[in-house]
Amino acid sequence: MQRDVGGLPLAPALRARLVAAGFQTAQELLETGPCGLSKEIGISKEEALEALQVVRQACQGHAARTAGGPDTTRNCTALELLEEEQAQGFIITFCSALDNILGGGVQLTKITEICGAPGVGKTQLCMQLAVDVQIPECFGGVAGEAVFIDTEGSFMVDRVVDIAAACVQHCQLIAQAQQEEDHLKALETFSLESILSHIYYFRCRDYIELLAQVYLLPDFLSEHSKVRLVVVDGIAFPFRHDFEDLSLRTRLLNGLAQQLIIIANDHKSAVVLTNQMTTRIGQSQSMLVPALGESWGHAATVRLILHWDNSQSLMVSEMCSFQLSLKMQKILKRTLANGHGEKRKSNSDSKVEC
Amino acid sequence: MATKKLRRARLSQELCERLSRHQITTCQDFLCLSLLELMKVTGQSYYDVQKLLCKVSRACAPKMQTAYEMKLKKSVSPSSAFLSTTLHSLDKVLHGGVPCGSLTEITSPPGCGKTQFCIMMSVLATLPVSMGGLDGAVIYIDTESAFSAERLIEIAGNRFPAYFDSDEKLFCMTRSVHLYRDLTCGSVLKRIMSLEEEVISKKVKLIIIDSVASVVRKEFDTKLQGNLAERSNFLARGASMLKYLAEEFSIPVILTNQITTSLSNSPAIQADLVSPADDLSLSE
Repeated sequence: MQRDVGGLPLAPALRARLVAAGFQTAQELLETGPCGLSKEIGISKEEALEALQVVRQACQGHAARTAGGPDTTRNCTALELLEEEQAQGFIITFCSALDNILGGGVQLTKITEICGAPGVGKTQLCMQLAVDVQIPECFGGVAGEAVFIDTEGSFMVDRVVDIAAACVQHCQLIAQAQQEEDHLKALETFSLESILSHIYYFRCRDYIELLAQVYLLPDFLSEHSKVRLVVVDGIAFPFRHDFEDLSLRTRLLNGLAQQLIIIANDHKSAVVLTNQMTTRIGQSQSMLVPALGESWGHAATVRLILHWDNSQSLMVSEMCSFQLSLKMQKILKRTLANGHGEKRKSNSDSKVEC
Repeated sequence: MATKKLRRARLSQELCERLSRHQITTCQDFLCLSLLELMKVTGQSYYDVQKLLCKVSRACAPKMQTAYEMKLKKSVSPSSAFLSTTLHSLDKVLHGGVPCGSLTEITSPPGCGKTQFCIMMSVLATLPVSMGGLDGAVIYIDTESAFSAERLIEIAGNRFPAYFDSDEKLFCMTRSVHLYRDLTCGSVLKRIMSLEEEVISKKVKLIIIDSVASVVRKEFDTKLQGNLAERSNFLARGASMLKYLAEEFSIPVILTNQITTSLSNSPAIQADLVSPADDLSLSE
């Protein structure tokens, strides 16, 4: 109730007039009432009533927050958070080495960024995750749906059909081996058609469509409350070219990151982004670093950088073989949010064949 | 979509006028501003501005499709998903042929036959659907002046003698191959940008650009300052326009590239010169 007038979410012109008239707290405004307000400020009674309703709404929200209500911020102990995090499922990737590095799989409520050179498998991994998020709980999955926002146009439906068919087969084998009641029941709804129908695909052609889609995402997620994964394939692509104003780009990217964090937390879903690599030219040598600059590095909680192990590109021969077993060798490294060029080596360095 | 005027986004007339006084006329201008700036410019409260933001976003956001709907759309016309190259082993590796609706890049050292392959694909695209073609016109953007019409007729006559049995049929086929000679980056980009109308008016079913690398290599010396950024800009704009055309009209787009050697700490490898689809520009 002691909220300062300058901080209320009213129209700026109205706010300026209130401050000029000498009002200092929200309490004063509410006490004056609409008729008194309209006489003092010189606005109509309807406008004054509207303004008071906004003030009341803002104060109620504020009060709920300070009283520790369930609105936006919560107070809890680290133990409660730990229990919550452990009870949360992971979205497995079907590559055991990758799951080991990530501590079980892609975590919900966190942003994971996948960076790598072209052709290394970022989109494939995203498509795999869009299928894996739908695995029923009795098989160890999170039984959620997926939103796939594509900015590069590299989403291939036929590939997703292959991945989904393999996943269903895998679950069927498990069900046969274990012969449990709920496994068989879950398998009835876990079919190719249902997997494909629960991947919601958006094709954004430039950064404005991407921004618009992310603004609309909270409403979409409230309608489709079972979504547990949001993939943005190619967050770098629309922002990298034809952008003269770099400060605008940084601002837009930061805004995007904030919104994605809010979405991840509020809707208990994992957000996976893919990023490109760029060359940073240093004094003596140049190296490949994730694109979009260093300020973007703080957006993601987990950053996966994928490299080719051999210097030869194995792309041509590997076209048909990405499925449950990857034949090429990759060095998978995990870096935390502020990892970039210098900090690429982490303690979980492992050369794996998965 | 980004340049959509706010009028058409169903905002009220007076709001549009007020915004245009601040030079905000398109959805792009509107969405690039922060919430506080929007409040100042529209003169409305926080919650109202959020509702406005949703309204404008709805005007530019893409439509939702489920993966299942996409699969159904594809399976409705399976034969039009690929353009078969008639080379069996290549078709097997590509799972059917050159895919429609996406960009395909052909790259090799000089002399391997990229231009010949492109000429052959032009012939194949003009064939009727019953023979495995696309029954449409071809747009061929030639930057090296390597296209030879005589060779086109030679391939057609030798591979499909039964179909091209008369001169009339050969001329009909050559009439549907539209050749453009663009020898500079600027003109290539302009040509790509103007392709949308040509594709509709001439019923084009295949776009070939031979080659992207030669024209880029001629004009951009990556050792000079600033050229790398300009080159990537040019490639990205061309690539996104071509992707849009490929997806919108469901036609294949073929690009050819050259090979260069990438020198680094590891032994010298051969790699693509320019990568239009992703931006990993390698230096020579």
